[in-house]
Amino acid sequence: MSELFRTRDCVVLFKGDAYTVSLSTALRNNGWSGGQGVMWEDSSLDEFRVTFSNGLYGGFLLWGSDESSDQYVSFLRNQVVVGAGVICLGGWLITTSTYEKYTYTSRTGGGPLIPIVYQEGLRLRFSLRGLWTIEDEWNLSNPLTSNPYFVGSVTQAPKASNNNYLGIQTSI
Amino acid sequence: MLEQARTRDCVILYKGDAYPVTVDPVMAATGWRGGQGVQWVSSSKDELLVTFSDGLYSGFLLWGSDESSDLHTASTRNQPAYQFTTIGAGGWIIMTNTFEKYTYTSRTGGGPLVPIVYNASDRLVFSLRGYFTKEDEWTLSGDPRAPNDYFIAFVIQAPSAVTSDYMTIQVSI
Repeated sequence: MSELFRTRDCVVLFKGDAYTVSLSTALRNNGWSGGQGVMWEDSSLDEFRVTFSNGLYGGFLLWGSDESSDQYVSFLRNQVVVGAGVICLGGWLITTSTYEKYTYTSRTGGGPLIPIVYQEGLRLRFSLRGLWTIEDEWNLSNPLTSNPYFVGSVTQAPKASNNNYLGIQTSI
Repeated sequence: MLEQARTRDCVILYKGDAYPVTVDPVMAATGWRGGQGVQWVSSSKDELLVTFSDGLYSGFLLWGSDESSDLHTASTRNQPAYQFTTIGAGGWIIMTNTFEKYTYTSRTGGGPLVPIVYNASDRLVFSLRGYFTKEDEWTLSGDPRAPNDYFIAFVIQAPSAVTSDYMTIQVSI
Protein backbone atom coordinates (compact mmCIF):
# COMPACT_ATOMS: atom_id res chain seq x y z
CA MET A 1 0.00 0.00 0.00
CA SER A 2 1.29 3.42 -0.90
CA GLU A 3 2.10 5.51 2.17
CA LEU A 4 2.44 8.78 0.29
CA PHE A 5 0.02 10.89 -1.71
CA ARG A 6 1.60 10.83 -5.13
CA THR A 7 -0.74 13.26 -6.81
CA ARG A 8 1.94 15.11 -8.78
CA ASP A 9 4.60 14.07 -11.30
CA CYS A 10 7.30 14.94 -8.80
CA VAL A 11 6.68 14.66 -5.07
CA VAL A 12 9.20 16.35 -2.78
CA LEU A 13 10.27 14.67 0.45
CA PHE A 14 13.28 16.87 1.15
CA LYS A 15 13.95 20.20 -0.49
CA GLY A 16 17.28 21.37 -1.97
CA ASP A 17 18.04 24.50 -3.99
CA ALA A 18 15.36 26.01 -6.23
CA TYR A 19 15.10 29.12 -8.37
CA THR A 20 13.17 30.57 -11.26
CA VAL A 21 14.35 30.21 -14.87
CA SER A 22 13.04 31.06 -18.32
CA LEU A 23 11.78 28.26 -20.52
CA SER A 24 12.83 27.53 -24.09
CA THR A 25 10.40 27.61 -26.96
CA ALA A 26 10.60 23.83 -27.17
CA LEU A 27 9.52 23.48 -23.55
CA ARG A 28 6.68 25.99 -23.93
CA ASN A 29 5.41 24.40 -27.14
CA ASN A 30 5.58 20.80 -26.04
CA GLY A 31 4.98 20.96 -22.31
CA TRP A 32 6.79 18.79 -19.82
CA SER A 33 6.28 16.55 -16.81
CA GLY A 34 7.36 17.47 -13.30
CA GLY A 35 10.81 16.02 -12.65
CA GLN A 36 11.90 16.73 -16.25
CA GLY A 37 15.67 17.17 -16.58
CA VAL A 38 16.75 20.44 -18.17
CA MET A 39 19.99 22.02 -19.34
CA TRP A 40 21.03 25.61 -19.93
CA GLU A 41 20.38 27.16 -23.33
CA ASP A 42 21.74 30.32 -24.96
CA SER A 43 19.44 33.30 -25.09
CA SER A 44 19.65 36.71 -26.75
CA LEU A 45 17.96 38.16 -23.67
CA ASP A 46 19.43 38.74 -20.23
CA GLU A 47 17.84 35.67 -18.72
CA PHE A 48 18.64 32.19 -17.46
CA ARG A 49 17.01 29.88 -19.97
CA VAL A 50 16.67 26.11 -19.92
CA THR A 51 15.52 23.52 -22.40
CA PHE A 52 15.06 19.76 -22.40
CA SER A 53 18.17 17.97 -21.20
CA ASN A 54 19.92 15.70 -23.68
CA GLY A 55 22.10 14.16 -20.99
CA LEU A 56 23.63 17.40 -19.76
CA TYR A 57 22.11 19.02 -16.72
CA GLY A 58 21.14 22.24 -15.09
CA GLY A 59 18.62 20.58 -12.83
CA PHE A 60 15.09 19.27 -12.98
CA LEU A 61 11.77 21.08 -13.19
CA LEU A 62 9.68 20.95 -10.07
CA TRP A 63 6.24 21.18 -11.62
CA GLY A 64 4.92 19.88 -14.91
CA SER A 65 3.26 22.20 -17.41
CA ASP A 66 -0.13 20.54 -17.39
CA GLU A 67 -0.43 18.44 -14.27
CA SER A 68 -3.86 17.23 -13.29
CA SER A 69 -3.40 18.68 -9.80
CA ASP A 70 -3.24 22.15 -11.37
CA GLN A 71 -6.47 21.89 -13.33
CA TYR A 72 -9.27 24.29 -12.41
CA VAL A 73 -6.96 26.52 -10.37
CA SER A 74 -5.23 29.78 -11.24
CA PHE A 75 -1.97 27.88 -11.77
CA LEU A 76 -3.45 26.27 -14.88
CA ARG A 77 -0.85 26.59 -17.69
CA ASN A 78 0.68 29.49 -15.80
CA GLN A 79 4.27 28.42 -16.46
CA VAL A 80 3.73 27.93 -20.19
CA VAL A 81 2.05 31.30 -20.67
CA VAL A 82 4.52 33.28 -18.58
CA GLY A 83 7.51 31.29 -19.84
CA ALA A 84 8.97 30.60 -16.43
CA GLY A 85 9.57 27.43 -14.46
CA VAL A 86 11.21 26.42 -11.21
CA ILE A 87 14.47 24.53 -11.51
CA CYS A 88 15.79 22.31 -8.73
CA LEU A 89 19.38 21.39 -8.02
CA GLY A 90 21.60 20.39 -5.14
CA GLY A 91 20.37 17.65 -2.84
CA TRP A 92 16.71 16.69 -3.00
CA LEU A 93 14.79 13.62 -2.00
CA ILE A 94 11.98 13.11 -4.50
CA THR A 95 9.69 10.44 -5.83
CA THR A 96 8.69 10.84 -9.46
CA SER A 97 6.98 9.17 -12.38
CA THR A 98 9.23 11.01 -14.85
CA TYR A 99 11.87 8.41 -15.63
CA GLU A 100 12.66 6.05 -18.48
CA LYS A 101 10.54 2.92 -18.12
CA TYR A 102 12.01 1.00 -21.06
CA THR A 103 15.51 0.46 -22.36
CA TYR A 104 16.85 2.84 -24.96
CA THR A 105 17.52 -0.02 -27.36
CA SER A 106 13.99 -1.36 -27.17
CA ARG A 107 12.47 2.13 -27.47
CA THR A 108 14.42 2.92 -30.60
CA GLY A 109 14.77 -0.53 -32.13
CA GLY A 110 11.18 -1.13 -33.09
CA GLY A 111 10.88 -4.42 -31.21
CA PRO A 112 9.01 -5.19 -27.99
CA LEU A 113 9.57 -2.75 -25.14
CA ILE A 114 11.94 -4.07 -22.46
CA PRO A 115 11.51 -2.60 -18.97
CA ILE A 116 14.52 -1.08 -17.21
CA VAL A 117 15.06 -2.76 -13.84
CA TYR A 118 15.86 -0.12 -11.22
CA GLN A 119 17.53 -1.07 -7.94
CA GLU A 120 18.31 0.94 -4.84
CA GLY A 121 21.74 2.55 -4.94
CA LEU A 122 22.08 2.64 -8.73
CA ARG A 123 23.31 5.96 -10.08
CA LEU A 124 21.18 8.00 -12.43
CA ARG A 125 21.80 10.23 -15.43
CA PHE A 126 19.44 12.12 -17.69
CA SER A 127 18.44 10.37 -20.90
CA LEU A 128 18.60 11.94 -24.34
CA ARG A 129 15.17 13.42 -23.66
CA GLY A 130 15.95 14.45 -20.12
CA LEU A 131 14.23 11.71 -18.15
CA TRP A 132 15.93 9.98 -15.23
CA THR A 133 17.56 6.68 -16.24
CA ILE A 134 20.28 4.24 -15.22
CA GLU A 135 21.33 3.83 -18.83
CA ASP A 136 24.05 5.81 -20.57
CA GLU A 137 22.18 6.86 -23.69
CA TRP A 138 25.13 8.80 -25.04
CA ASN A 139 27.05 5.54 -25.24
CA LEU A 140 24.08 3.52 -26.46
CA SER A 141 23.46 5.98 -29.29
CA ASN A 142 27.14 6.53 -30.05
CA PRO A 143 29.68 4.01 -28.72
CA LEU A 144 32.45 6.59 -28.98
CA THR A 145 30.91 8.72 -26.25
CA SER A 146 29.91 8.20 -22.64
CA ASN A 147 27.93 10.30 -20.20
CA PRO A 148 29.77 10.84 -16.91
CA TYR A 149 27.18 13.27 -15.52
CA PHE A 150 25.55 11.36 -12.67
CA VAL A 151 22.82 13.48 -11.11
CA GLY A 152 21.15 11.17 -8.64
CA SER A 153 20.85 7.73 -7.14
CA VAL A 154 17.90 5.41 -6.60
CA THR A 155 16.42 5.41 -3.10
CA GLN A 156 13.35 3.37 -3.93
CA ALA A 157 12.78 1.25 -7.02
CA PRO A 158 9.39 1.54 -8.76
CA LYS A 159 6.87 -1.07 -7.61
CA ALA A 160 3.18 -1.52 -6.95
CA SER A 161 3.40 -0.30 -3.37
CA ASN A 162 4.73 3.09 -4.45
CA ASN A 163 2.48 3.50 -7.49
CA ASN A 164 5.48 2.80 -9.74
CA TYR A 165 7.15 6.05 -8.77
CA LEU A 166 10.96 6.16 -8.66
CA GLY A 167 12.54 7.42 -5.43
CA ILE A 168 15.61 9.57 -6.08
CA GLN A 169 18.30 11.25 -4.01
CA THR A 170 19.51 14.02 -6.29
CA SER A 171 23.02 15.41 -6.29
CA ILE A 172 23.31 18.20 -8.85
CA MET B 1 44.83 21.20 24.19
CA LEU B 2 41.42 19.95 23.14
CA GLU B 3 39.27 22.85 21.95
CA GLN B 4 36.09 20.93 21.16
CA ALA B 5 33.84 18.88 23.41
CA ARG B 6 33.70 15.59 21.57
CA THR B 7 31.06 13.75 23.57
CA ARG B 8 29.36 11.93 20.68
CA ASP B 9 30.47 9.56 17.93
CA CYS B 10 29.74 12.25 15.36
CA VAL B 11 30.04 15.93 16.23
CA ILE B 12 28.55 18.45 13.81
CA LEU B 13 30.30 21.71 13.00
CA TYR B 14 28.29 22.58 9.87
CA LYS B 15 24.96 21.06 8.95
CA GLY B 16 23.91 19.84 5.52
CA ASP B 17 20.79 17.92 4.48
CA ALA B 18 19.15 15.59 6.97
CA TYR B 19 16.09 13.40 6.78
CA PRO B 20 14.57 10.43 8.58
CA VAL B 21 14.84 6.94 7.12
CA THR B 22 13.95 3.43 8.18
CA VAL B 23 16.74 1.07 9.27
CA ASP B 24 16.69 -2.58 8.25
CA PRO B 25 16.37 -5.42 10.81
CA VAL B 26 20.12 -6.11 10.73
CA MET B 27 20.92 -2.58 11.85
CA ALA B 28 18.18 -2.59 14.45
CA ALA B 29 19.51 -5.85 15.88
CA THR B 30 23.21 -5.06 15.89
CA GLY B 31 23.17 -1.30 16.50
CA TRP B 32 25.45 1.25 14.91
CA ARG B 33 27.76 4.13 15.66
CA GLY B 34 27.20 7.79 14.87
CA GLY B 35 28.94 8.57 11.58
CA GLN B 36 28.15 5.10 10.21
CA GLY B 37 27.83 5.04 6.41
CA VAL B 38 24.63 3.59 5.01
CA GLN B 39 23.21 2.74 1.61
CA TRP B 40 19.72 2.36 0.17
CA VAL B 41 18.22 -1.10 0.17
CA SER B 42 15.06 -2.55 -1.33
CA SER B 43 11.90 -2.84 0.73
CA SER B 44 8.54 -4.43 0.09
CA LYS B 45 6.95 -1.42 1.79
CA ASP B 46 6.62 2.18 0.69
CA GLU B 47 9.51 3.39 2.84
CA LEU B 48 13.04 4.70 2.46
CA LEU B 49 15.13 1.88 3.89
CA VAL B 50 18.87 1.88 4.59
CA THR B 51 21.38 -0.70 5.70
CA PHE B 52 25.10 -0.70 6.47
CA SER B 53 27.14 0.63 3.56
CA ASP B 54 29.46 -1.83 1.83
CA GLY B 55 31.13 0.94 -0.16
CA LEU B 56 28.02 2.40 -1.75
CA TYR B 57 26.42 5.41 -0.13
CA SER B 58 23.29 7.27 0.63
CA GLY B 59 24.72 9.18 3.56
CA PHE B 60 25.92 8.78 7.13
CA LEU B 61 24.00 8.45 10.38
CA LEU B 62 24.06 11.38 12.74
CA TRP B 63 23.47 9.50 15.96
CA GLY B 64 24.58 6.09 17.08
CA SER B 65 22.06 3.61 18.42
CA ASP B 66 23.61 3.30 21.87
CA GLU B 67 25.74 6.34 22.52
CA SER B 68 26.72 7.07 26.10
CA SER B 69 25.38 10.63 25.76
CA ASP B 70 21.88 9.22 25.24
CA LEU B 71 21.84 6.94 28.26
CA HIS B 72 19.39 7.78 31.04
CA THR B 73 17.43 10.04 28.66
CA ALA B 74 14.34 9.52 26.52
CA SER B 75 16.64 8.84 23.54
CA THR B 76 17.95 5.62 25.05
CA ARG B 77 17.58 2.98 22.32
CA ASN B 78 14.83 5.05 20.75
CA GLN B 79 16.12 4.56 17.20
CA PRO B 80 16.56 0.75 17.14
CA ALA B 81 13.25 0.27 18.97
CA TYR B 82 11.34 2.23 16.34
CA GLN B 83 13.70 1.19 13.52
CA PHE B 84 14.33 4.69 12.28
CA THR B 85 17.25 7.06 12.22
CA THR B 86 18.43 10.34 10.71
CA ILE B 87 20.64 10.34 7.65
CA GLY B 88 23.03 13.13 6.70
CA ALA B 89 23.72 13.93 3.02
CA GLY B 90 24.94 16.91 1.02
CA GLY B 91 27.66 19.09 2.52
CA TRP B 92 28.61 18.71 6.16
CA ILE B 93 31.60 19.35 8.36
CA ILE B 94 31.78 16.73 11.09
CA MET B 95 34.20 15.30 13.59
CA THR B 96 33.90 11.57 14.12
CA ASN B 97 35.70 8.59 15.56
CA THR B 98 33.80 6.26 13.20
CA PHE B 99 36.49 5.64 10.63
CA GLU B 100 38.83 2.79 9.81
CA LYS B 101 41.82 3.00 12.12
CA TYR B 102 43.78 0.07 10.64
CA THR B 103 44.49 -1.08 7.12
CA TYR B 104 42.12 -3.55 5.53
CA THR B 105 44.95 -5.98 4.90
CA SER B 106 46.08 -5.99 8.53
CA ARG B 107 42.52 -6.25 9.85
CA THR B 108 41.75 -9.29 7.71
CA GLY B 109 45.19 -10.89 7.49
CA GLY B 110 45.57 -12.03 11.09
CA GLY B 111 48.88 -10.24 11.63
CA PRO B 112 49.62 -7.11 13.67
CA LEU B 113 47.29 -4.19 13.09
CA VAL B 114 48.82 -1.48 10.92
CA PRO B 115 47.39 2.02 11.44
CA ILE B 116 46.11 3.98 8.46
CA VAL B 117 47.88 7.34 8.27
CA TYR B 118 45.37 10.04 7.38
CA ASN B 119 46.40 13.44 6.08
CA ALA B 120 44.45 16.60 5.45
CA SER B 121 42.88 16.60 1.95
CA ASP B 122 42.84 12.82 1.64
CA ARG B 123 39.72 11.71 -0.23
CA LEU B 124 37.48 9.25 1.58
CA VAL B 125 35.13 6.42 0.60
CA PHE B 126 33.12 4.05 2.75
CA SER B 127 34.76 0.77 3.71
CA LEU B 128 33.11 -2.63 3.34
CA ARG B 129 31.47 -2.07 6.73
CA GLY B 130 30.55 1.54 6.05
CA TYR B 131 33.25 3.43 7.91
CA PHE B 132 35.05 6.42 6.43
CA THR B 133 38.40 5.30 5.03
CA LYS B 134 41.03 6.37 2.51
CA GLU B 135 41.51 2.80 1.31
CA ASP B 136 39.62 1.27 -1.60
CA GLU B 137 38.46 -1.94 0.03
CA TRP B 138 36.70 -3.09 -3.13
CA THR B 139 40.08 -3.34 -4.80
CA LEU B 140 41.83 -4.73 -1.72
CA SER B 141 39.22 -7.46 -1.26
CA GLY B 142 38.93 -8.35 -4.95
CA ASP B 143 35.35 -7.11 -5.09
CA PRO B 144 34.13 -7.22 -8.72
CA ARG B 145 32.80 -3.68 -8.34
CA ALA B 146 36.35 -2.33 -7.94
CA PRO B 147 37.61 0.29 -8.07
CA ASN B 148 35.47 2.25 -5.66
CA ASP B 149 35.34 5.77 -7.04
CA TYR B 150 32.44 6.89 -4.84
CA PHE B 151 34.38 9.53 -2.99
CA ILE B 152 32.09 11.11 -0.44
CA ALA B 153 34.39 13.26 1.71
CA PHE B 154 37.72 14.97 2.34
CA VAL B 155 39.87 14.93 5.47
CA ILE B 156 40.02 18.36 7.09
CA GLN B 157 41.91 17.39 10.21
CA ALA B 158 43.73 14.09 10.61
CA PRO B 159 43.18 12.19 13.85
CA SER B 160 45.76 12.94 16.53
CA ALA B 161 46.15 13.31 20.28
CA VAL B 162 45.03 16.93 20.15
CA THR B 163 41.72 15.88 18.53
CA SER B 164 41.12 12.93 20.85
CA ASP B 165 41.77 10.80 17.77
CA TYR B 166 38.65 12.13 16.08
CA MET B 167 38.89 12.86 12.36
CA THR B 168 37.36 16.05 10.98
CA ILE B 169 35.70 15.53 7.62
CA GLN B 170 34.15 17.67 4.90
CA VAL B 171 31.32 15.55 3.59
CA SER B 172 30.07 15.91 0.00
CA ILE B 173 27.29 13.43 -0.75
